Amino acid sequence: MKAALNFGLLRRLGRQYFLFSLLLLIVGVVINASLQANFFKPIALVGLLRTYLPLVLLAAGQTIVIIGGGIDLSVGSVVSMVNVILVTRMGAEATQSQVLMAVSLGLLAGILAGALNGACIAFLRFQPLVTTFATSSIFAGIAVWILPRPGGSVPESFMQPYRSSPLGITFPLWVILGVALIWWYLRSTRFGRYLYATGGDAYSAYMSAVPVEWIRFFSYVASGLMAALSGLLLTMSIGTGSALIGLDMTMPSIVSVVLGGTALSGGGGGVIGTILGVFILAIIRNIISFANVPSWWQTLVNGLAVMLILAGPGIWALIRGRRDS
Amino acid sequence: MNKVSLSAQHLVKHYGGVVALADGNLEVNPGEVMTLVGANGSGKSTLGKIVTGVVAPDGGRLLLNDREVVFRTPHAARELGIVAVYQELSLVPRMTIAENIWLGHEWERAGGILRDAEMRQRTRELLALFEGTTHNHLDPDLPISALSPGEKQIVEILKALSWQPSVLFLDEATASLDSRQVNRLFDLIQDWKRQGMAIVFISHRLDEIYRIADRVTVLRNGRTVAAAPISDLSKQELINLMIEGGVATRTNGKRSESYAAGEEVLRVESLSTTTLRAINLVLRRGELVGLGGLQGQGQTELLLALFGAIPYTGQIYLYGRPATLRRPQDAMRHQIAYVPGERNTAGLLPIQSILDNLLLPSWKYYGFPLRIRQAQADAMAVAGGGLKLVMAGLDQPVNTLSGGNAQKVVLGKWLLRRPQILLLDDPTKGVDVGTKGEFYKILSDLRAEGTAILFYSTDDEELLGLCDRVLVLHDGKITAELSGERLVHSELVAAAMGSST
Repeated sequence: MKAALNFGLLRRLGRQYFLFSLLLLIVGVVINASLQANFFKPIALVGLLRTYLPLVLLAAGQTIVIIGGGIDLSVGSVVSMVNVILVTRMGAEATQSQVLMAVSLGLLAGILAGALNGACIAFLRFQPLVTTFATSSIFAGIAVWILPRPGGSVPESFMQPYRSSPLGITFPLWVILGVALIWWYLRSTRFGRYLYATGGDAYSAYMSAVPVEWIRFFSYVASGLMAALSGLLLTMSIGTGSALIGLDMTMPSIVSVVLGGTALSGGGGGVIGTILGVFILAIIRNIISFANVPSWWQTLVNGLAVMLILAGPGIWALIRGRRDS
Repeated sequence: MNKVSLSAQHLVKHYGGVVALADGNLEVNPGEVMTLVGANGSGKSTLGKIVTGVVAPDGGRLLLNDREVVFRTPHAARELGIVAVYQELSLVPRMTIAENIWLGHEWERAGGILRDAEMRQRTRELLALFEGTTHNHLDPDLPISALSPGEKQIVEILKALSWQPSVLFLDEATASLDSRQVNRLFDLIQDWKRQGMAIVFISHRLDEIYRIADRVTVLRNGRTVAAAPISDLSKQELINLMIEGGVATRTNGKRSESYAAGEEVLRVESLSTTTLRAINLVLRRGELVGLGGLQGQGQTELLLALFGAIPYTGQIYLYGRPATLRRPQDAMRHQIAYVPGERNTAGLLPIQSILDNLLLPSWKYYGFPLRIRQAQADAMAVAGGGLKLVMAGLDQPVNTLSGGNAQKVVLGKWLLRRPQILLLDDPTKGVDVGTKGEFYKILSDLRAEGTAILFYSTDDEELLGLCDRVLVLHDGKITAELSGERLVHSELVAAAMGSST
């Protein structure tokens, strides 16, 4: 009975889009553990989770847009914008209600940013790549205008939850669990179904009475909101503000989605894979830093590793195709 | 079931200055099958699209049970029970059969969570209607991309059925079904009729029209010219009504007697791919050989392998010498041409002009040095000459052409290269009778000039009327070769079902 259950579970796993990513993550963990003696110690793992939690949320939002057939290059700038809003609205001595106010304002900014992207792309039919590239400059500009010079601080009580461990489980794991649960719910609703249909074949979806434009619009709003939450967590984590803080997060968010098995062409994949993707990226970076690669080579090695992984399924298919013929 | 009678009166539709529909009338009552026939460009698709809410009319009115209605979207029509199966499929390839069937009207429970198990169960019941007619067992969880064209068409029909229609439009719904699947569909249509459904059936296959129709509406040049019980019209009379001036000439090629003497241009020995198993065949100069059988038995793969588009094992001899075809370029160098079945995706660049499409495979000849005038003149000669293309000019985009004309462009781009061997993958699918006739004429002319033609068709009449020999495929193997006296319908059907000796 138990064997049959396990077998069924394995078979279901075998059909999942993120199988390759899961194998990759396991391989990465094994390599990393062999290089880093204390890798499995809680302190190292929790450190990794805390560092990459904001990227998990950012990439989760990116996944929704990409499944819907678009792409969002503005997410990093939204993170910066939310970060500087939070810092400038709070200061070290902020009261509870001021913190609440600032957080609401930050999230609202993210939603509005997403709505701007979504309206241009869904209703005015602008190209997603160009539109979000342009709005990314706008949001980054707003961030610099709000906080020209890095600095500022937030109350200790605002940062405290990020380092807490409710019920003995570290805070980032709770958040990741929450993201996975919300995703599972979305997937089981009409919105989820319509999102895959819109990204898979927009014309067929339209002919089947799917409100394609609204689905596209809401995918960008979701991405904006997730970017704002990512900015919120990042601010909780570092406690200070910089208008450039999210600049280097956009590309990793897209790479994580792809590493997680979601195709850039849309209509497939999912957030669970993306969560794995973020940690594959994290492990690659970790391995590079522990493998004593000279710092000026790190970017190159990082890029090569990502390229190799992206090419993996293709190479595998090529080998299989040759054997079959 | 809601019993609904639908009546379209004096519908008019302009696209820019072009009149697509001048006076479209259509009436269908519960429990009857009305067929809508007409040549390409006669306005039947436009009429169908107006009635199902895809296109808004410029004039005329629609009555539903004698009450006037206006549809702003396909969804509005569907909610009143008018559902269409369109010629172009509306399925999302990466989603499963069940997800596609219920797309747009999923069942929800409290909290917005979908009732997946129940939808899958209902999907299983719907799939059971076509049980036994498909090559694979169809499971609700299979992705659409894993299905053959016929199976996709079945899912499309079931998707329409899931809306519980009172009026069902079937626009060329049998075009990619094999004979078993068509028979099953016709049995089902009889059931639906008894339950009071009104069915509008659009088809180019006269046989099918006579098998299933109660009444027929004929469109010509955007006008309804006749509506009568099918039993009042002979096939010849029906064709006369569809064709301008009432002159019908079927230009089926006559069999050439002397092909056996022709030199061998293609010999295939034990060719295998993932679907084909040990295919042997010979094609001679000036010979038109048909490929028959049920849908998806490897006919398309055989043509693709001969065009170097998919990997194969085995030996191919061209013009007496062994040849290796690794890419389409290899095949083109040996003067092989291939007209794909999916003309919109594999055959044409839809938004480009007729000229660009015609010249695409020929730039090697016109490109170095660039001889644009010569290229244009040759393209014009092909388009205006043999093809008799109906067009505003060579710079008209091909996506504004009707299906038949677009298919002529696909053929034309290869004719410019003067192929020795022509591979055709069901080229007359969804093409009207008039254009089909012109197609047959082109093929028999090419054969007379010595071109060897390998011709896959899902239309048995075409194979019987046009080909010198017919090779019947079943499950990736050639199970019969029919020629001379044995080239008759009964033999063809028997071989297709795999019951031949």
